[in-house]
Amino acid sequence: MNDTAPINLLLVDDEAGLREPLAEYLARQGFVVREAESAAVARSELLDFTPDLILLDIMMPGEDGLSLCRHLVEARKLPVILLTAKGEATDRIIGLEIGADDYVVKPFEPRELVARIRSVLRRAARPAEQVHDDTPYGFEGWQLDPLKRKLTDPDGTVVSISTAEFRLLRAFLDHPKQVMDRDRLLDMVQGREAHLFDRAVDNQVSRLRRKIERDSRNPTFVLTVRGGGYRFAADVRRIKAGQD
Amino acid sequence: MRLWPRSFLGQVLLAVALALLVAQTISAVLLWQAAENRRQAAILNTAAIRFVTAPPDRIERGTHRIRPRGGGLRALRIETTATDPILPGETRDRDAEHALRELLEAQGIRIGQLVATRRMATDDPLIRSRPRLLARLQRRNNANRSLLVAGLKRGESPQWEVVRVPFPRPQRGVIGSIIIQTLVIYIVLVGLHFLLLRRITRPLRALTTRTESFARNQDRGEPVSPDGPDDVRRLIGAHNRMEARIEALLNEKDVMLGAIGHDLKTPLAALRVRIEAVEDEAERARMAAGIEDITRSLDDILSLARIGRAGEPPERADLAALVASVVEEFEDMNQPVTLRDADRIALPVQMTWLKRALRNLISNAVRYGGEAEVSLLRESRQTVLRVEDKGPGIPGERLDDMLEPFTRGETSRNRETGGAGLGLTLARAIAEQHGGQLALANRPEGGLRAEIRLPPAD
Repeated sequence: MNDTAPINLLLVDDEAGLREPLAEYLARQGFVVREAESAAVARSELLDFTPDLILLDIMMPGEDGLSLCRHLVEARKLPVILLTAKGEATDRIIGLEIGADDYVVKPFEPRELVARIRSVLRRAARPAEQVHDDTPYGFEGWQLDPLKRKLTDPDGTVVSISTAEFRLLRAFLDHPKQVMDRDRLLDMVQGREAHLFDRAVDNQVSRLRRKIERDSRNPTFVLTVRGGGYRFAADVRRIKAGQD
Repeated sequence: MRLWPRSFLGQVLLAVALALLVAQTISAVLLWQAAENRRQAAILNTAAIRFVTAPPDRIERGTHRIRPRGGGLRALRIETTATDPILPGETRDRDAEHALRELLEAQGIRIGQLVATRRMATDDPLIRSRPRLLARLQRRNNANRSLLVAGLKRGESPQWEVVRVPFPRPQRGVIGSIIIQTLVIYIVLVGLHFLLLRRITRPLRALTTRTESFARNQDRGEPVSPDGPDDVRRLIGAHNRMEARIEALLNEKDVMLGAIGHDLKTPLAALRVRIEAVEDEAERARMAAGIEDITRSLDDILSLARIGRAGEPPERADLAALVASVVEEFEDMNQPVTLRDADRIALPVQMTWLKRALRNLISNAVRYGGEAEVSLLRESRQTVLRVEDKGPGIPGERLDDMLEPFTRGETSRNRETGGAGLGLTLARAIAEQHGGQLALANRPEGGLRAEIRLPPAD
């Protein structure tokens, strides 16, 4: 992000106690922030103002955040980050399913919010990466559902993976059979939780291997290419809905 | 095999059967006794009549008279003889003698001597002296029939008059008809009871199933429809109302918890944003840690209150990957947590909850024991998620207390160590939610070992 074009944000939250200091904080970080205390106000703001990104509280009196989010994503194609007080996994999934780009759980670290705003904008600026193609991937009986970030093995057993591992695996699945050097992987994987990815790519690869390889010392999926990086060896297909 | 049925239906049916058996046995015995008495009386009467009707002239002539027509034992009328009718080795039937004496005296017969005994027809000397009769008896398979043999000396007469009366064949029919009668009554009674009781037990069983599933997960299925007799209907109605009330309370609780969570987390979020304005880096870090502590306690409290409410459905998960991903979270925060053995074990679990339990155990180990070693293993069919530390452990007598809410290892509520003391309570609740348990033990080599033990999947 360069300083020439200021980033416009719309912050929608009914709690003035959070909205005002957050707007101030974001302004100090160099964003241009407009505030709205309800979904209705947000809708009227949007008539003459097109933000680059919307920060949206879910629980609000009147029209709630999820409903407004659906409208913003479908009608306006605007990136949305949900602010939610609930931490339950199902709430997060609903938020992502209706098209929000990310969510943060209150109370969040303001710096993390800024990192996520930048990361969502970065991805939005790269349409080539098919940000919104959330069709599940399949490889040798395994499945990766990008929406739920759920990896299942050929028996249908869920295999927990961290966000970093998910991004790494997705990068491999998007580019099967290609040699990916460490810098490229780092670049592709650096996302919302950039700080989680401080560790070397090698470390993340070995973690991912521990979870998906039968024998992580003799990997069959993620192969090391001497001097070059890594290569995903299996065939990958996209699984359309209704197809197993 | 257990003989005493455990179900209401079985117990009632068995009780009916037993009662019926006792009653029918008593009545069978009584009937049999009455029949036996009648039989005895009839024989004695026959014998008496023969003595009374015996013509004195024939007796005096010393001839014994055998009725010429007819056959079998009935033909033996009366014999006059000088020999004692009781054979050597035979016992006299005192009861019969006594009864016969009364009968004869009532008819005005002067009794000199009276004897009576019971003997097998084939042993009787008179019958044995008549080969044709004997042969016929044996042919007809009457050989085992017995006779009442009575001898009378009238007045001073030296001669015995001997009368032989055959006992009627034993009445096997009586017992048979009692058994048939018992069976018929039993079938009718049991059938009726079965129909009646099923009207009670069927809705009761439905109610039991429903209560069990409600107790397990408050699953909102169809309520049991009131059925059966009025008492049972009322019970089911009352149960349904109670269920609805409990559900309303639980829903209220969920709404309330949601509101508490929202209302507390929003100001916390505001606070978290405001402290970014604090210039002093160290001061700001302390404030952030404080807010994080409050948030964690709040999450623990809310989770503990919510646990048991159907939320996340269990999913078959690779526990090795689950344990590894929790350990990696700690590694990413540069905490001294290591993963030892991790067998590949797949079980249906609620992943977010189980991760949370494990996270609590690991952060406890790190907080009080300095470092944590995590392993996943199978032990006698159970799956064990084990977290060990090298700290001071917990005094043996306090191990159980540790699972109670708001209990912490050291008695001083040290701010530095943080937490509301709900970590272990929550971990135990989660383990139990999965049908397992949380076990705490001091390691012999020092330090605490906390284990979540999960049963095998059904």
